[in-house]
Amino acid sequence: MAEPSLITGYLTELSAQLPAPVVEELADGLDQTLRRYLGQGLDTTAAAEAAIAEFGQPQVILAAFTRASPARRAARRLLATGPIVAGCWAAALITSRAWSWQVPVEARIMVGVTLITVTGLLAAAALGNQYRSVGRAGTAGCIGVAALDSTMLIAVPLAVPAVAWPLLLAATTSAVRIVLTARTLRPVLAG
Amino acid sequence: MRAEELKGHLDALLLAALEGGPRHGYAVMEALRETTDGRLDLPTGTIYPALRRLEAAGLIAGSWSVVAGRRRRSYRLTEAGARALSGKRADWRDFAAIMTAALEEGRPWPSPA
Repeated sequence: MAEPSLITGYLTELSAQLPAPVVEELADGLDQTLRRYLGQGLDTTAAAEAAIAEFGQPQVILAAFTRASPARRAARRLLATGPIVAGCWAAALITSRAWSWQVPVEARIMVGVTLITVTGLLAAAALGNQYRSVGRAGTAGCIGVAALDSTMLIAVPLAVPAVAWPLLLAATTSAVRIVLTARTLRPVLAG
Repeated sequence: MRAEELKGHLDALLLAALEGGPRHGYAVMEALRETTDGRLDLPTGTIYPALRRLEAAGLIAGSWSVVAGRRRRSYRLTEAGARALSGKRADWRDFAAIMTAALEEGRPWPSPA
């Protein structure tokens, strides 16, 4: 059976945002819905219209996928737990008198800019309404968080003269976050 | 029943629909429609993201097969999903008992002070 143009257009609209396997699954469900209406005696156009009405308009489907996006969930988790890790690092840096360390201004600025960028990406993923852009921002945000944590884990012990317990605590929270973020990235990359 | 009224209960419905054995997305919707006598007013397409979300949470597992030349994704309940369904059933029974006790017609309420 040739696919009605209405159905083809509908699936093309979904393909612009959703990964191919997801569209394939939706196409199968839509095809079965269409066949049910054809079986009830509707002509091809009427059956296609009825199937699409029952399935939901593309914007409705895309909004539902965006809400359930693994990238959005990952971004929201990182934004929610971010203040805990940041608080640990703030305590560690203050108690270690970080302002007296010999760290180039450029390096301090780079860490600050990266932190702001990563937070912005996570916010875009947490609040965005386009499935594809939520996925991209979430992926970049997760990678950015892991990169920031890795930088802190490597650079701070080299700069600090003596390791104290607040620093160990902050390093532990970052290490845990790197592991959790790496585990989160798999479903995020799968879409 | 509209989609917004289902908020919070859709997961339980989807898990229950898979309790009897694996189903693909369309079959899950058909089962829900049949069980609820067609009173579930939910765009069929919106159950697919919910199925993906449950799969990511490890409550259901998806697998592909080929039917009439078209790839089809079916889902089955995992052990974690079966445990989650039991929990959701117990929660629902408690909630329903509380609401029934409070809203039942003719139920005597304490006099206002």
